Amino acid sequence: MAEDETWGIAHVHASFNNTIITITDQTGAETIAKSSGGTVVKQNRDEASPYAAMQMAEEIAEDVQAQGIDGVHVRVRGPGGNQQTNPGPGAQATIRALARAGLEIGRIEDVTPIPHDGTRGPKNAGF
Amino acid sequence: MRVAVTGTPGTGKTTATELLDTTLDVIHLNDLITDAGLTIGHDDDRGSAIADLDAVRARLDGRTDILVESHLAHRIPADRVVVLRCHPEELEQRLADRGESEASITENAESEALDVILSEAVDRHGLDSVYEIETTERAPEGVAAEIKSVIAGTREPAAGTVSYTDYL
Ligand SMILES: Nc1ncnc2c1ncn2[C@@H]1O[C@H](COP(=O)(O)OP(=O)(O)O)[C@@H](O)[C@H]1O
Ligand SMILES: [Mg+2]
Repeated sequence: MAEDETWGIAHVHASFNNTIITITDQTGAETIAKSSGGTVVKQNRDEASPYAAMQMAEEIAEDVQAQGIDGVHVRVRGPGGNQQTNPGPGAQATIRALARAGLEIGRIEDVTPIPHDGTRGPKNAGF
Repeated sequence: MRVAVTGTPGTGKTTATELLDTTLDVIHLNDLITDAGLTIGHDDDRGSAIADLDAVRARLDGRTDILVESHLAHRIPADRVVVLRCHPEELEQRLADRGESEASITENAESEALDVILSEAVDRHGLDSVYEIETTERAPEGVAAEIKSVIAGTREPAAGTVSYTDYL
């Protein structure tokens, strides 16, 4: 990445029901743009669809580029990012759409939380 | 019939299944894993034993009339999978009352808000076998009654009936 480029972080929350995209500055402190599935589709059940994620990603990419962002590192939180056959496949679609809209994509990190008590499971197949 | 009762820690699996009136043998998986040493290591950051799920599956192989209770129960073969749900804010309270650490409370509440276990359950078992039960503001006896109706076959499968993304 060139030195004069401005980078942000795209936080993708991919749940069973919804996808939420927040773009912050590199420290994560300042929110530059935010979007959720509910803002682009009418039906609740479509909020986590790849279609909704793509629509959101296109809009948000345009928005942050207008604010001077050239590229984003992506942090995916949520099972939607892990499994191809999952009903919450928003994360993959989001990343592809952000790239198509002209944002450079840097590091992609899966930071999905792990449910645990005295035991935890071995990690699922990763990203 | 084999029933799995899963859900994020704190959703009330152990409490509800202890109250359950059923002919199925109730297996509290955490106890089995700990007592039989079915682990492949330890997660020091979380203070959790890492379960050896192959060993658990082998141990339960051939056992039919059981109900397995654990946040890992959906990762072993079952005919019906009950997923207990609880709003993350109430879940935080329940886990705090149980004496869990701040880090553990935060990660479990976030897991619940992101539907991590529900998604895994649907992914492995399909929409036809998953029965989501909302426990927020419902007494353990009421939760046990809902589980009983799943076993009896009088409840329809359900998934995605609650959304906690407002918590995120
Ligand atoms: N339906 C409920 N409503 C309120 N509190 C509950 C309910 N079920 C369980 N609890 C409390 O929440 C905590 C976690 O319950 P527990 O059964 O240990 O959950 P799990 O086995 O799913 O981790 C316990 O302190 C328990 O007393
Ligand atoms: Mg328990």
